[in-house]
Amino acid sequence: MNLKRIGKKYRYIDHLSDIGIEFYGNKLEELFENAGVGMFSIMCDLELVEPQEKRNIKISQKDTCYEDLLVLWLERLLYLYEVDDVLFSEFKVGGIHKKGRNLVLTAEISGEKIDLNKHKIKIAIKAPTYHMLEIKRDDRYCDWKGRIIFDV
Amino acid sequence: MDYKINKINDYKWEIEKDEKYGMRVPGIIFADRQLLDHAASEKTIDQVINVATLPGILKASYAMPDIHYGYGFPIGGVAAFDEDNGVISPGGVGFDISCGVRTLRTNLNIGDIKDRLQDIMSILSFNIPRGVGSKGKIRLSKNQLMQLLKEGVDWAVRNGYGWEEDKYFVEENGYMAGANTDFVSSLAMDRGIGQIGTLGSGNHFLEIQAVDEIYDTVAAESMGLEKDQIIIMIHCGSRGFGHQVCSDYIKVMQQSVIKYGIKLADRQLACAPVSSPEGKRYYGAMACAVNYAIVNRHCLAHWVRTTFERFFGKSSEKLGLGTIYDVSHNIAKIEQHNVDGKLKKVCVHRKGATRSYPPGHKDIPDKYKSIGQPVIIPGDMGRYSYILLGTEKAMSESFGSTCHGAGRLMSRTKAKKNINGSELKKELFNKGIIVMAGSMSGLAEEAPQAYKDVTRVVDVTHYAGISKKAVRLRPLGVLKG
Repeated sequence: MNLKRIGKKYRYIDHLSDIGIEFYGNKLEELFENAGVGMFSIMCDLELVEPQEKRNIKISQKDTCYEDLLVLWLERLLYLYEVDDVLFSEFKVGGIHKKGRNLVLTAEISGEKIDLNKHKIKIAIKAPTYHMLEIKRDDRYCDWKGRIIFDV
Repeated sequence: MDYKINKINDYKWEIEKDEKYGMRVPGIIFADRQLLDHAASEKTIDQVINVATLPGILKASYAMPDIHYGYGFPIGGVAAFDEDNGVISPGGVGFDISCGVRTLRTNLNIGDIKDRLQDIMSILSFNIPRGVGSKGKIRLSKNQLMQLLKEGVDWAVRNGYGWEEDKYFVEENGYMAGANTDFVSSLAMDRGIGQIGTLGSGNHFLEIQAVDEIYDTVAAESMGLEKDQIIIMIHCGSRGFGHQVCSDYIKVMQQSVIKYGIKLADRQLACAPVSSPEGKRYYGAMACAVNYAIVNRHCLAHWVRTTFERFFGKSSEKLGLGTIYDVSHNIAKIEQHNVDGKLKKVCVHRKGATRSYPPGHKDIPDKYKSIGQPVIIPGDMGRYSYILLGTEKAMSESFGSTCHGAGRLMSRTKAKKNINGSELKKELFNKGIIVMAGSMSGLAEEAPQAYKDVTRVVDVTHYAGISKKAVRLRPLGVLKG
């Protein structure tokens, strides 16, 4: 079975004070891409964001796990959004692999400078949290499934 | 989780210490029956229990009546840790470090402002940077930002923002000691440099309010307040700077728990001994974020003053725009408390809780020595906010702490589904409240119905004795991010 069976990249999880997402992927790389799509979908209407600005990302972290790498990845996306004023809508994770004791992620992301009149910004995300954080294999629907709660 | 709740009185409940969860102390919840049942239905009590498992926790894991489900620590949680054997946890402070409230008095009353409210709100809306992705009007170099982080209000006053005397009415006397910029990442500096003097979004707001009811005439007089008087309330925090400091140190603490052999019930509770190098570094960085938040509110207050000056054609001194008080409700502090009959230095975490120091305490301004520390409680945009006073009982019952607001009742998704932002705006307008908001869906999330009734919350703290009602305020003009 593959991602098409679920028909979506992510879904919202209701949390009393904050917002969470569950996200899916046939490959680990796709899982990370869809976590990015889910996070920026909380903030704005992604269909209105054109892929004009590109950024290359490389994250290398020693003695880490996929969950922690996910937090680093989403934090990096938030940092670039806030410092460069860019909303991102396309995420291409080139690879996630082990290099010695490190886990390395490389990606190319694209988006557009924030235009308050054009982009319907819904809410700001403060940070991804470790609360209920999970990445696991899920053979019933697709290969990979993740869950994260954001502080908003 | 299953747990045993014992009723201590109508406003205080104990969650029995249960070793199967690794609880080191019991839980104490200040609530009436209805608020307690709500907390239980949201599984918030599980989070109170999880905090009770942390090393070096003293007396109890406390929850204030505005408690609601958070991530890791509950929101409305208070926990004090032994300075020598206890821990400090970035998650116990939260991402929005020193989120808090500042109030300014005016010598205007409702009659002076009623017919011109729309105009003044429009000008405030123009002068106050706010909303998602907002950048401030203050351009800082990295060195200037470092000075600001160390000096707080003193830096701001030296650079032409606000009054010298404001600092005496800030919980930390204008800046938190122990701020060390060496422990702040360049990522936090990058995020913070452009955002000083911005309101942000979410539940943050700037409101014009009127004094609606006075419960303690002596205290109201000390604060310079009388019925129908206009005051300004500013609710915001340390913006991206604080968020990044918290993110950085939650990661550091993920390693610390392995290094120090700390078992966690939730990864977001990650912590390190207060006295460890990791604990001290976090404290130094957190204090920088506290100073950032204080200056942030201070600059916003400055623009409120300049707006009022131009609008009314009088100086802010003549308009009486002095600071009533400034509190932080997401913070960890080293304070002195009585534990088992001995005065001890402890690290008090207040996550969605406010300090509530009693009359005579050395850390409150002389002006308020006889009445106790003003505790500012922002409510929702349709009902009330309050100014309470700190009490002696808070010192013995809750490490000098009380509630911080109304507390959420409805999730954001549910609020958006059930409430229409534009209709809400109209409804409030018909009640005489002018609301200006960046987004209508954001407004719906912050609707009064999405929150508990702040009066109910405040009443619990009053009857439990951990703070005392002084003044009730009602909103007239609301500016949201």
